[in-house]
Amino acid sequence: MAERVLITGMGMISAIGNNVEENFRSLRAQRSGIGYSQYVDTIHRDVLPVGEVKCSTAELAEMAGITDATGFTRTTLLGLIAMQEALLSAGIRDAAETPTAFINASTVGGMCDTEKIYFDILDPEKEGTFLQLIDALDCADCTQRIADHTGLTAYVTTISTACSSSANALMYGARLIRAGLVQRAVCGGTEALTRFTINGFNSLKNIDKRHCMPFDNDRNGLNLGEGAAYLVLESESFAQRRKARPMAELSGWCNTNEAFHPTSPSPEGDGAFEAMRKAIAMSGRTLEDVQYINVHGTATLNNDVSEGRALERLFGDNVPSFSSTKPFTGHTLAAAGAIEAIFSVLSINRQMIWPNLNFNARMEELRISPETRLLEESPVLNVVSNSFGFGGNNASLVISKYGY
Amino acid sequence: MDIKCYIQSSAAISPQQSFTGDYIPQLLPLTERNLMRAVEPAYTGFIPPNSLRRMSRLLKMGLTSALQCLRNCNSAVPGAIITGTGRGSLQDTEKFLHDIRTYEETALNPTPFIQSTYNSVNGLIALQQQCTDYNNTFVHRGFSFEHALLDSILQIQEGVAESVLTGGFDEMTVEHHYIKSRIGYWKTELTQPADMLGSDTQGTIAGEGSVFFLIGTAPSAVELKGMQMLYKPTPEQLTASLSQFLTQQGVAPEEIDLLVSGRNGDTRFDHYYDVAEKVLPSSVEKIHFKQYCGEYDTAGAFGMWTATQELLSGRHKTALLYNNFYGEQHTFVLLQGSKS
Repeated sequence: MAERVLITGMGMISAIGNNVEENFRSLRAQRSGIGYSQYVDTIHRDVLPVGEVKCSTAELAEMAGITDATGFTRTTLLGLIAMQEALLSAGIRDAAETPTAFINASTVGGMCDTEKIYFDILDPEKEGTFLQLIDALDCADCTQRIADHTGLTAYVTTISTACSSSANALMYGARLIRAGLVQRAVCGGTEALTRFTINGFNSLKNIDKRHCMPFDNDRNGLNLGEGAAYLVLESESFAQRRKARPMAELSGWCNTNEAFHPTSPSPEGDGAFEAMRKAIAMSGRTLEDVQYINVHGTATLNNDVSEGRALERLFGDNVPSFSSTKPFTGHTLAAAGAIEAIFSVLSINRQMIWPNLNFNARMEELRISPETRLLEESPVLNVVSNSFGFGGNNASLVISKYGY
Repeated sequence: MDIKCYIQSSAAISPQQSFTGDYIPQLLPLTERNLMRAVEPAYTGFIPPNSLRRMSRLLKMGLTSALQCLRNCNSAVPGAIITGTGRGSLQDTEKFLHDIRTYEETALNPTPFIQSTYNSVNGLIALQQQCTDYNNTFVHRGFSFEHALLDSILQIQEGVAESVLTGGFDEMTVEHHYIKSRIGYWKTELTQPADMLGSDTQGTIAGEGSVFFLIGTAPSAVELKGMQMLYKPTPEQLTASLSQFLTQQGVAPEEIDLLVSGRNGDTRFDHYYDVAEKVLPSSVEKIHFKQYCGEYDTAGAFGMWTATQELLSGRHKTALLYNNFYGEQHTFVLLQGSKS
């Protein structure tokens, strides 16, 4: 039997808080982080609400302890802040002491900053420090800056599978551990809001001008968000040897492809169904063992039908409590899988189920509706966390209370 | 590795005539800039005409080389699709950036945005071949194709997949070539591929390409013995790691009869190749594959393809691929042929 993979640390920053505890307090207070952007230069700024981190890039640099922030993009700084918290919470003082993998996820890398100077780069007449941002045009730049800053160098890479990116990063890190290549991997993703992405989703007519309403009959699209989240994964034996505090177990995972359409899920949610089914089977748990599903729930017309049908088909009349936390954070794309994995761990450790905000009316295509109340003292042992993306990419994770 | 992995087929679109016919690498003449352009094949027979019109260049190259790789071994549905790309579809990213500016963020066509998504080629392959299994895309410079390869090996070792379609692809646009010239990626004077290794100047020649492999458990003429990646090693760490890697693989340096080397004539990073070569006997034959494909994030895939072709020819038995990308991401891959 392959070794268990434990979650021994986590760190995050999102529209509802600059660390895990602040995020938890906002979830519990049912306080959304959605609003109009302060920092993105776009004509949609006062029209399309977003889940923006409530700090300027200069403030983020200060929080991350970076004195000379030349070349550090907002994406990198968000990631660095989450990474520093993750390592601290795992009790890791010197990450370089143990060969550690860093599996990051990003959809557009440093675009948040490079899009501001892109046409200056193309102008041979213009010179300046902005040229140092050229390397940030890709997704690897943020990863390597975080790796170099923290000493995570055993395996360093970046995954980009659209909205399922960081769920895939967690899976890949867990598999490197199970294969015995490393004993520890820090996995997650970082994403900053950009004019590029806002216009991309807007051109797809996928953004709601209101606060997003996952699983509501009147939903009309998503709100984009930004943030970063990392989870420290360790093999059980290594965690025990160093007397780490296990927060939860990453007990199951599955990545499937729908092979249906470049940007739309299938109406019956075939990919979502398979991803959840196989992830639960891998975890050794049964369908009845799942108390909560943190759904992808973007509030786009297609996603919620597809994911809802997958839930109904898989769980029949016994669909567990489910909710989308995207009305709190917005859809943070490459960071979403890791942010929601942390919300899943919090659900287990605090015995709470997070409410699906902004829900009024059940979808006519579905028999089920999301949990709209904050459930406290609610026993949660196993959570399924879903992340689905463009290109038909579906990822489900099963996160379990350690020792059960 | 507990389960042996073999290269069951491959297909390469590159600056060379690699997609069709017998492979005879040529030192190409360059006239305008330090860029070796990929030779695009005829796409009819691979992609339906109505899809072809919409698709951008990298998507066409990626999908077509993937399909040809599957055709070469009469396979239709691999057990997983795992790829690497450093830049994705640059043409689409650039188009969307320009469109945002030109049309002032209004009435934008979403197609370039969708196609600029790094996993769009993977999604297309899955869609066209109806492959619903594991699908992943790595986007990390010289660790893009390389992690796709490691992920593929893991899929096979885990017993999840019997075969994996593994690829690496990148394109270079004129615009991006200019951008990278501003931070010293390319040689400043027009340099011919024939002169790139001896030019004694900084920078290199850009390239592009799309290379796919079907890696699986069914024995074939080329075995993928193992691989190792190193992030920003010192020269000492590189030497030690290469020796250790060969020991782990049970291969003496003298047994390696071919070094496929990523040496690209950039004087800033040549010393890494010097160091690696010192671990091997001086008699080892060397192929410097970037003379034929140029430098790009996923050039390592073309290097592995070159090594595979050499082993298939029977000229060599044991090939070591060593590549690094601008001195940061370093990779060894060991391949063994059964032809003699």
